[in-house]
Amino acid sequence: MDKSEKTQFRRERLDRGIKARTDTIYAIASFRDMLYLILPRVLPLVLMVVLPLLLGEYWRKVVCYAAVYGLLALSWDFLGAIGLFSLGQALFFGVGAYMAGALNLYFEWPIYYTLPAATLGGALFCTLLLTPVIRLKGVYFAMVTIVIPILFSRTIVAGGIFGGTHGIVNLTPFKSDLLAEYLILFALIGCLFAFRRVIGEDYGLVMHAIRDDDRAVMSAGINIYWRKVQALFVASAVGCLAGAFMCHNYQFVGPSAFSLDYSLLPLAAAALGGPGTFVGAVLGSAILIPLSEALRDFGGLRMVFYCLILIASMILLPEGIFHYIARKYHQFERTVKI
Amino acid sequence: MKKGVMVFIAAAFFAGLILCVPLAPAWSADPIVVGIPTALNSDYGRDSVNAVKLAVKEINDKGGVNVGGQKRPIKLIISDTRDMEPTTPAHDALMAVEKMILQDKPHAILVGFARSEVFMAGMELIAKHKIPYLGSYAQTHMFQQQFAKDPEKYKYIFRVCGYNVIAAKAATDAIDVLRKEHGLKRAFFITQDTLLSKGFVGVLKKHCENTGWQTVGTENIASDAADFSAVLSKVKSSKAQITVVFWDVAQGGTIMLKQWTSMKVPSLMVGFVIGACSPRGWDFMGKNINYIIQTEAPIGSGIPLKKLPKTRAFVEKFNKAYGKPHGQWLTSASYESVYILAGAIERAGSLDPAKLVKEIEKTDYAGVIGRIRFDKNHQVVYGDDPKETAVCLAYQWLNGKMVPIYPPAVAEGKVVLPPWMK
Amino acid sequence: MSIFIYGLTQSVTLMLYGYGFSLVYGISGIANFAHGGFYVLGGYITWCIINLLGLSQFTSAVLTVLIMGFLGFVFYWGILLRIRGIILSELVITFVAGIAILEFLNWKGLYGFYYNLLPFVEGDITVGEVSVDYQRLIVLCSGAVLAGLMWLFVHHTKIGLSFRGIAQEERTALSLGIESDWVGSLSMALGSALAAVAAILILPLGVLEANVGYEVLIYAVTVAIVGGLESTPGMVLASFIIGFGQILVAEFIGSSWMIIVPLATIVVILALRPSGLFGKFKELEERV
Repeated sequence: MDKSEKTQFRRERLDRGIKARTDTIYAIASFRDMLYLILPRVLPLVLMVVLPLLLGEYWRKVVCYAAVYGLLALSWDFLGAIGLFSLGQALFFGVGAYMAGALNLYFEWPIYYTLPAATLGGALFCTLLLTPVIRLKGVYFAMVTIVIPILFSRTIVAGGIFGGTHGIVNLTPFKSDLLAEYLILFALIGCLFAFRRVIGEDYGLVMHAIRDDDRAVMSAGINIYWRKVQALFVASAVGCLAGAFMCHNYQFVGPSAFSLDYSLLPLAAAALGGPGTFVGAVLGSAILIPLSEALRDFGGLRMVFYCLILIASMILLPEGIFHYIARKYHQFERTVKI
Repeated sequence: MKKGVMVFIAAAFFAGLILCVPLAPAWSADPIVVGIPTALNSDYGRDSVNAVKLAVKEINDKGGVNVGGQKRPIKLIISDTRDMEPTTPAHDALMAVEKMILQDKPHAILVGFARSEVFMAGMELIAKHKIPYLGSYAQTHMFQQQFAKDPEKYKYIFRVCGYNVIAAKAATDAIDVLRKEHGLKRAFFITQDTLLSKGFVGVLKKHCENTGWQTVGTENIASDAADFSAVLSKVKSSKAQITVVFWDVAQGGTIMLKQWTSMKVPSLMVGFVIGACSPRGWDFMGKNINYIIQTEAPIGSGIPLKKLPKTRAFVEKFNKAYGKPHGQWLTSASYESVYILAGAIERAGSLDPAKLVKEIEKTDYAGVIGRIRFDKNHQVVYGDDPKETAVCLAYQWLNGKMVPIYPPAVAEGKVVLPPWMK
Repeated sequence: MSIFIYGLTQSVTLMLYGYGFSLVYGISGIANFAHGGFYVLGGYITWCIINLLGLSQFTSAVLTVLIMGFLGFVFYWGILLRIRGIILSELVITFVAGIAILEFLNWKGLYGFYYNLLPFVEGDITVGEVSVDYQRLIVLCSGAVLAGLMWLFVHHTKIGLSFRGIAQEERTALSLGIESDWVGSLSMALGSALAAVAAILILPLGVLEANVGYEVLIYAVTVAIVGGLESTPGMVLASFIIGFGQILVAEFIGSSWMIIVPLATIVVILALRPSGLFGKFKELEERV
């Protein structure tokens, strides 16, 4: 028998030792183990508190910007967790921005009132608007969500309402830039942790179940429409908050608040970071926005490079960056002889 | 493969980060830094940037600007706000300007925003950072309205180019001639669904109604229209003799002109249609645009005027350096904005923004666009006489030549009716 | 009469925009949001061949179609195959690829009215009281001929039948020896070739600008959704409805409302009949 002499190898993936140790209560036995557990949770918190103090003025603005897109990406992810694939985050953003702007201009409310009012009022408005189409699934829901922001922006321009094509200017800014940055970062972390908790609880379980097989959930006696409406409310509240924030940050709101950019960038961020894990959404926007700003030096070719990098990352890491990092953190690979 | 992945992504990210960190230390106090954030991917943006470069080169060749006894060269920083592109949100354009302001610390900003929405938002930004801004792109009349609400806050912002109604006035005299000397009386008005267009056509419509013209139709069309057959058949059936149009989107403008000829619409076009309003227009549109009356705002942007040697000099210089300009508006205003700035710097003797602003307000000299003075709303004053104000003109295409017909101070010919109208 | 002719032209234009998109979606299930980018790229390549290489219009048209087909094939094989099945990634990658193409062309200077494809035949003809230029009539006839040819292709040639096989039931087709990767790549090649054909026919009517790509994409998506994403006859019918709708609205209500027509149609269709006019009525999948 002439068997081939070549030894064959395979790669195998194993949990790291430290992961195995820290999975149990004995994690508190050593500081190193506790650090292993705490670090990934605390690191973003620390970063978000410290960054505004460390960075220069321009990059602080970029961080703000990234946080806003992070909120939109989180809202997208939340809708995705319940199975509503939305291509219209711009709707939430625009409605929030216009509501804050209108309240500020026509009723002269200060920021402390316009922000919560725009968040909740905008969420109510968007939920009522989208409830009729909640029955649609998959790509059909996505199509409706693309069309509605375009319709809104055209109506505003055509009707000349809310400032028409010029938008509304000279709105009240935040008392200080630092306050604004911490506010938005706080909101981002808050939403991130809240969403992660919710998904981990029973509520999140039902959401995933609705995404995977809604008929099964219906036959279990759970009203999926009500759940979907709730998810819509929460997601649109987050989106409206982002919009209202940007409105006051730039003291301006215009029809470009409904532009496609606000729908697609959160999507790309979530896709890059890892859809379904909320951290992925934040991570994705933390990468994409600074990247896009950093590429400004390329002038006209900025968008081209940006798009190429995005395509390359999505092909090479289709599962998302967060999954990749998590895997590396928890597991290691080795080649083993067969 | 997976390792390579991580390396690649990390490399790309950090390469991006590194590229954005300013490589050289902050510029020494020597050059005067002038920023030009504008919509580079547009004709007017491109032409304006070239005009500014021309002026800066002239000034630097003479040694620079005299700042309190020391001659310093001007350094240009050009960046793209992309605000003429359909998918750019306003915040993106504002970030481009903010980046330039925070990182390059310009002493002044020229040309500026293009889209009215972005310009209005940008006013807040410029006011916050207190940088003298001499705009020569955005033409919305909302600027004056907003300025008047708080002149002290917005005092850093000036506008060198005209605004929509100014160029319209240049066309009114041509229309008067058509009425008085040729007895035409039926007019059709086509507006693009933008404030700029509606403002422009609105001025002409009011003038027509006051001078005895009969309005036989008005149409408001969305900016992205690609087919004008419905409107043009209305123009034909209403037997309009002139049609006042303002259209600044290239796609629609070209289609409109082509359909005009192919549908044989017997009406004289007056106003502004991109594609026809350009020194390169004849090369591309040919006989399609014969006899139509267009406007140039301000003078010197494309036509070398026999009566004004400064315009001839500028047009020649520009053509030599960059070829014929693509658009026919704003180029000379951008050129002059550099000289306005240089003059103000020399008079102020420093680069302090508040002092600069005071000196810019006192500007009063004769430039390519006419006599340059600012009114109380920081807008250059436009009128009919180049000795008193800056000027916009109306001209008619006649067999490949642009013949200025209004105002009289610069006119070189009279309005000619096309043969099919006699 | 003018409504009839211009309505017809508008409808055929919309159909040409949407054909490539609808075909690719029907066969490979990938919504090719780079369709607008391929359209303008096709126009640009034609312009380059005509003006830089000096070849005749016909030769450059043929060459462009072949080149675009090849590019579409490479796009699918090289990029989309890697992430086939991950719907999110497909969406993002195709859309972003479209943006990359359009931004690149913008950078090259494709704005304003300087890049022009010349009409095949200059001049116009008067039909009744309506004066129509020859190019529009050519678009009309070519559109009809194209639709006919495609129908023949899809129903009577081996490759066309394998396209339909994959579209109907992929697993069965696979078990019959039709390789879905190969067919998918061919369908994308055909889709981008069709985009190039549309560009060559329609761009001479206007101007070769990069930003046209976004409009083309919106119209293509509209027409495909309203007609039913897998159905070609549906798409053709949808383009006629929307095309005539737009012209009628322009005539009787006002031109600034023209853009509302496709948007409103999408909303109405999605509310009443989400599969589209002729899409297979997949009630279980589209609504809960």
